[in-house]
Amino acid sequence: MFTTGSKLFIGASTLAIAAAIIYGSTQDTSTLGTIGLVSAAIALVFLMGINLWVRDSNVAADDPAGTLTSPAAHEPPPTSMWPLVGGLGAALIPVGLVVGRAITWMAVIVMIIATVEWMVQSWSERASADAAYNATIRRRIMHPLELPILGAVGLGVIIFSFSRIMLHAPSAAGPVIFGAVASSVLLFGALLATRREVGRSIIITICSVGALAIIGAGVSSAIAGGREITKHEVPSFAEGTCGAETNGEADTKSSRAIAAKSNFAATIVLQGGKLHAYIVALTGPQRVVTLPRSNYSYVRFTNLDSGKYRLVADFGSDLVDVNGTQTQIPQRSCTQAVGKDGAQFMVLRPTRPSSPDAPFTFSVPGIASQVITIEVP
Amino acid sequence: MTSVDQVQNQSGDSMTSISTRHHRWALPLAAFVGFAILSGCAKNAPQDTWQPAGENARNINNLQHWPFGIAGVVFVIVVSVVGYCVFRFRDRGQEIPKQTHGKPALEIMLTVLPALILIGIGIPTISTLFQLAKTSDTQCVVNVTGQQWWWEYDYPVQNGCGGISAPIVTSGQLVFPAGTHVLLRISSRDVIHSYWIPKLNGKRDAVPGRVQTLRLEADHPGIYTGQCTEFCGLSHAYMRMEAVSLDQASFTAWVNNQLKKYSPPAAGTESSAGEALFITNCTRCHQVNGILDSSGKPIIARPDKYVYAGVVPNLTNLMTRSTFAGAAFDLMTPSCKTKLWDTPADKFSAEYLKGVSPDCLNTVELREWLRNAPAKKPMYADPAQLTTTGGKYRGMPNLGLTEAQIDKIVAYLTERK
Repeated sequence: MFTTGSKLFIGASTLAIAAAIIYGSTQDTSTLGTIGLVSAAIALVFLMGINLWVRDSNVAADDPAGTLTSPAAHEPPPTSMWPLVGGLGAALIPVGLVVGRAITWMAVIVMIIATVEWMVQSWSERASADAAYNATIRRRIMHPLELPILGAVGLGVIIFSFSRIMLHAPSAAGPVIFGAVASSVLLFGALLATRREVGRSIIITICSVGALAIIGAGVSSAIAGGREITKHEVPSFAEGTCGAETNGEADTKSSRAIAAKSNFAATIVLQGGKLHAYIVALTGPQRVVTLPRSNYSYVRFTNLDSGKYRLVADFGSDLVDVNGTQTQIPQRSCTQAVGKDGAQFMVLRPTRPSSPDAPFTFSVPGIASQVITIEVP
Repeated sequence: MTSVDQVQNQSGDSMTSISTRHHRWALPLAAFVGFAILSGCAKNAPQDTWQPAGENARNINNLQHWPFGIAGVVFVIVVSVVGYCVFRFRDRGQEIPKQTHGKPALEIMLTVLPALILIGIGIPTISTLFQLAKTSDTQCVVNVTGQQWWWEYDYPVQNGCGGISAPIVTSGQLVFPAGTHVLLRISSRDVIHSYWIPKLNGKRDAVPGRVQTLRLEADHPGIYTGQCTEFCGLSHAYMRMEAVSLDQASFTAWVNNQLKKYSPPAAGTESSAGEALFITNCTRCHQVNGILDSSGKPIIARPDKYVYAGVVPNLTNLMTRSTFAGAAFDLMTPSCKTKLWDTPADKFSAEYLKGVSPDCLNTVELREWLRNAPAKKPMYADPAQLTTTGGKYRGMPNLGLTEAQIDKIVAYLTERK
């Protein structure tokens, strides 16, 4: 009457019910244990009922149709790789806890993927007696998720690998490599377009080999490390010769100004203890720099001498409203101290015209008698 | 009526209908074609890119000739083939022809031929771009700054341009020596504008925070006009510019005149009273170089405190230029302006240097401007209308001057040469 499987669940259910009654009667400090045991009992009773209903999925000897339609009558589904992948993810979690957070997150993602894939695979393989249909519904559900994600991941790996190659290669070789790869892709595409009889497997093989080559080279480049990239030193300056009245020791606006990278009103160069101004389209060093009024001008200071120097743009003083009182405040802008062969930008916006009586100037503290006049019309 | 008559009548009606339809289309079509043809015959087209007056504009013009020719040939071939196919293979109830896919030889030809044409166009185009971007042969530098809604020109101290020993600032008219490679350093103080003198070069955007360069060169002395070509707000359409080229000697004379010392009006004259009114009403924003206050100190205008752009036109030598209010209006009467514009190139420089004489002064529009500037040119001159300018003007406000005050200020300005 009772099948083998149902006997197991009957015993377990009885034990869980008894335990729940005993625990609930004797332990009055917490209801949590009772709830757990009652839940377990309900679950076991549910499983017992299913087993009794399906008769352990056994086919009765006097049921000829059952021998054809029951799952037991069909070839068992193939083994799944997802438990293995899930196990790998689980194993990586402790590794990540020791090595780094990134590995932990990667392991968690691998476990989630493995769990979802395994669940869907298991469900689909038992959805019907028709294996082909089962495979179809699995594809219908999972491909909209799998294909974009796999495509993005694959592309990301190739791009990342390519970036490692470019970072490792000498800067001069970068354009050559990039051009060669792009040309190869173009050539390959053109060849395929003109030869329609090329088999799919050949295309897949060539693409795979190309992708693997890039990934392999990327891994090698990543291991070898990137080339040395020169960092522009911005030394600090603590002496404060620009004066306490300035808003800051350095002109912080310049670092945010895109235009400062390409459009200079002038380049002021300190060389051999002398200041020179170079202006686009004006030939030779200049002693006067004309800046427009009420507009931003970008000036670059380059120090070619030993030692650290800063450039000071002095626009005299102006009446400024300080707490309701008009006060003469010096108007200056300064670079930070710039070491030998270093350069720094300034953003200047004079709002008053210059006058011969009190000319505006560029100067370098510590370099006497070297002044470049600023004219503001 | 017999059936034959009916058929003839019907046929006649049909013919009349077709004829009427043709007539209905014929007139507008003829008008369109006529206007299209006649528009190319404009004698006085000051902003015509097809009439270059300098090296750079000529390079651009040369570039557009044969691509237009090729494009014309391609257009005629394509339209002819399409027309032939549409007519020859029109639907007459015949069977649909056998459909085929792909013709490699034709497809390759249709790919290679346009590619060759593009390469053919691309080579001189790139070459011209480099020519236009060249700065190494610059002989003169001018900073050009746009703001709503006028252009300021300031000439930095330089050896170029025949030598400029102190900065010059002017507006409305860019003055430069003819036959000289002039490099404009173009920027903006508020929004994006675009500088374009079609007869001298292509356009260049004036972008806040950037300095962009543009080469100009004019073969002969003369006036070349342009128009801001980037929509920049309310009075964009009024933001005109004029480039004036002078012979080198006249340009040097113009520079010297711009840098000459301020000469105050004679005491007791209407102009002298106008100077006092100018100091009271105008010098908060408008600079006249060398003007002194009652204590003898130079007056420095501070437009940055009152105007959103931070600058207004410098009026030191107003009467040396023939426009005002951002070149939107002429300082000269129409007859004097026409005379100046029609002056032959060899005599133009001397004529321009005369400036605006009292006889030629366009007092009507200048007085209207002083009476109520915002009524002449939309400018958001009332800060109360704006919430984003921090209480600053964006254009000249209505100063509420009386007619007598306007007379005096006009008298004072007339002497600013």
